[in-house]
Amino acid sequence: MNPGERFPDLDLPDHTGRPRRLSELGGGDPVALFTSRGWWCPKEQRYMRGLCRLQDEFEVAYARIVVVSGDPPEVQSAFRAGLGARFTFLSDAERLWLPRLGLLETTDTVHHPYLPAAFTLGPDLRIHRAYNGYWYFGRPTHDELRRDMREITMAVREDWEAPAA
Amino acid sequence: MRAFAFVVFDGARLSLDPRAPGRRLRIDPRCVEGEPVHRAFAHVCALPDRSAALRYDEPEVQQARRDALAWWIPMLGDDLICLTTFAIDASRCAGAMTVARDPAKFADDPFARLFSGTVVPTDLFCAVPPPAGPPIERYAGAPWPGGRFGSAVHRCGS
Repeated sequence: MNPGERFPDLDLPDHTGRPRRLSELGGGDPVALFTSRGWWCPKEQRYMRGLCRLQDEFEVAYARIVVVSGDPPEVQSAFRAGLGARFTFLSDAERLWLPRLGLLETTDTVHHPYLPAAFTLGPDLRIHRAYNGYWYFGRPTHDELRRDMREITMAVREDWEAPAA
Repeated sequence: MRAFAFVVFDGARLSLDPRAPGRRLRIDPRCVEGEPVHRAFAHVCALPDRSAALRYDEPEVQQARRDALAWWIPMLGDDLICLTTFAIDASRCAGAMTVARDPAKFADDPFARLFSGTVVPTDLFCAVPPPAGPPIERYAGAPWPGGRFGSAVHRCGS
């Protein structure tokens, strides 16, 4: 999955167990999509706490955050509540999309988790940038996410330049 | 997609008939664009008084939307049918309505902090996927969580 390609339109249950599609969650806005090992990983806990600070900007900037992990919905729901997250988690507990996405973290033979990765997507799910978060510092910083959201927003909002009087 | 539909609330009843007596409120149009769910309950956090409104930008109105995303919608789970704020114009909010299969949890409704809630049995509204979050802003004046900006071509990324 490289920049310019379209990210698959995932169909998975959300943290409440309700069936969702990635395109529906995007709702016509730019999306920051994260694949996550799961609630048990200290690196994920740290990174998600940071995302919860960044959500205060996304909530007013017409952009979405979506997290995909192999945790079941009830675990995601508890994790999400503990974090104070206001964005959607998608549950691939059955590992339906994991092999198709080629994101299995092969070095963890206990949990068979998602490889930590991030993708910034346009409203049409076209990949703007991809990040490999296997090592923690491979994940996008908040400034990198802001930059990507700015670039995508500039590209898709025809009124990026405020209309003249 | 139209930006909003209307519902009329007289303090005790809801109607989709624009000639019905009561206060005319803008709602997320998706709430009335599908097959209605029968034997549902609406928690109408609004008053029939036409002056009862707050600006969407007021901190308490923002916080009610955050709370809806954070815990209200997850708490309702499968009971949730749809949720919409009430707009009366481009900037003012007259409250909100949560429609559910079971009214048992309505006492926790975060929008009841804005205007007191009335439980109304209803067959008018259909199931709508809950908002994905985290946006709490409105799209071009549409009642939150409805609306979206027009389609656009993604011209970057390659």
